[in-house]
Amino acid sequence: MSDDNGLWLLALGPTGATALYWALYRYYRNTDKSHAFERETTVEAQPVTGSDRKVDEIKGTRASRISGENGGAYRTRVQRVSGDSS
Amino acid sequence: MSDPKTPPPAPPVSGPGSPQDVPPLPGSQPIDPATLPQSIRDELEAPDPAAIDTASAELKDGINRCPKCGSTEIRHKPGTDLLVCLYCRNEWDGARVEEAFGLGEGLRDLRGTVVASGARDIAADAASLMSFKCTACGAEVTVNTESTMTARCHWCRHVFGVNEQIANGAVPDAVLPFHIRKDDAVARIRQFVDKRRMFALKAFKEQFTPENVVGVYLPYMIVDGNASADVAGKGEIKTREYTRGSGNDKKTYYDADIYQIERHVDFTVDDLPLESSTERGNLDTRVNTNNIINTILPFDTKNAVKWNASYLVGFTSEKRNRDVEHLRPRLEDQLLSIARAQVESSTGRYDRGVRWEQEQLDVHGTRWVSMYLPVWLYSYHQPGRNGGLLHYIAVNGRTGETMGSVPVQQWKLLTAALTVGTFIEGIVLWILAASS
Repeated sequence: MSDDNGLWLLALGPTGATALYWALYRYYRNTDKSHAFERETTVEAQPVTGSDRKVDEIKGTRASRISGENGGAYRTRVQRVSGDSS
Repeated sequence: MSDPKTPPPAPPVSGPGSPQDVPPLPGSQPIDPATLPQSIRDELEAPDPAAIDTASAELKDGINRCPKCGSTEIRHKPGTDLLVCLYCRNEWDGARVEEAFGLGEGLRDLRGTVVASGARDIAADAASLMSFKCTACGAEVTVNTESTMTARCHWCRHVFGVNEQIANGAVPDAVLPFHIRKDDAVARIRQFVDKRRMFALKAFKEQFTPENVVGVYLPYMIVDGNASADVAGKGEIKTREYTRGSGNDKKTYYDADIYQIERHVDFTVDDLPLESSTERGNLDTRVNTNNIINTILPFDTKNAVKWNASYLVGFTSEKRNRDVEHLRPRLEDQLLSIARAQVESSTGRYDRGVRWEQEQLDVHGTRWVSMYLPVWLYSYHQPGRNGGLLHYIAVNGRTGETMGSVPVQQWKLLTAALTVGTFIEGIVLWILAASS
């Protein structure tokens, strides 16, 4: 019982060291920065339309989030469907 | 397939229908389109691509004269959009392109690709060295448009500017003059670096002289777009959360409903800036720090003025080398990102998150204007493998937004990280020892 907790806690040291390294590295080098065009550009959008259809349900999963979540990762491209639907 | 033995009749060398003939009026058709079938008529009457002519005929000979006294000693007045004559102190400003060419209007009705004349494709054989005949004394003056757009005639001391829209991409449609003065930029860079000194490279700190900052006009394409996007994917709503087991074997389980979601959004984008130089557009942080210059976007491009080389006196410039078609994939990528950002607020009820699986973009219309935008650049070259790395600290010449890359002293950073890690580990061991 306490073995489980102990092993988990032992990882704190290396994790903390890595996190600090990357946090400082990014603060100095700013490699993660770029133009936030999603919010810094003037965009005029018509109201969003669409449909929501229940297709399935899952019971008893251990995951607290959907797998492969990318709702907030705007710049991650997914399968591009051909541009002309007509 | 046509018969190879009887080639189609060659066009007449002279007379009607040949290049020797006087060209027809723009927009006129040899046959009245109203008499043609609908499909052909649609094609004939479709709008032409390049529509906005931003060339300025009055500056074509390269000499910008003060409208009051005729002197060519013209400078940009720092901190303003004005040009000032150093001879008679007359001040005037260039026309804002936003109003002059109607760039802020009609976004919703944008169709096809509209390219301003300064954003046209670069001719492959266009040289970057340009020579002028000085209209005042007749001497030849050479301007290297890779880095400068103005020069002084060695003989009669007239100042020249490249104003003619040559096909080498050096002359944009518009320019946004510097507003942030040099001492202000120096102060901002100093402030930025002062907050990043502890782990900075020793050589960088020793050689740090922000007074060496240079003002550079960098080439951008400013794009307006009218597009629609469709995205489809799955979203999950939590219906139940419960725990099973007891004590330390307690585990949390979830039940959820899965939804198929589809979203559609029509939107217009105003003044999206894209780097129109291959080098600046490469944002690979392993080999360069151009993402720094990308971060200080956007500029108040609404205030850009019609091109006049006098704004560039005392500054350097970089030449555009990307055409509209090169930049289109990047634009579509950014439009898709914008669309995804727009639809996010409509998926709030999916508390277990959304996974987009397919996306589709229809670009109805785009308008491309090339501009020179002002950037204060401080650079430091860090030696290393593959030629080292050039670190930039950039200040937006209009808004003052500052971003930079400060080289780090790796051993210091590693020591600090290891020290903190060891300290945390020590506390952990102490807790474990105390609890067992």
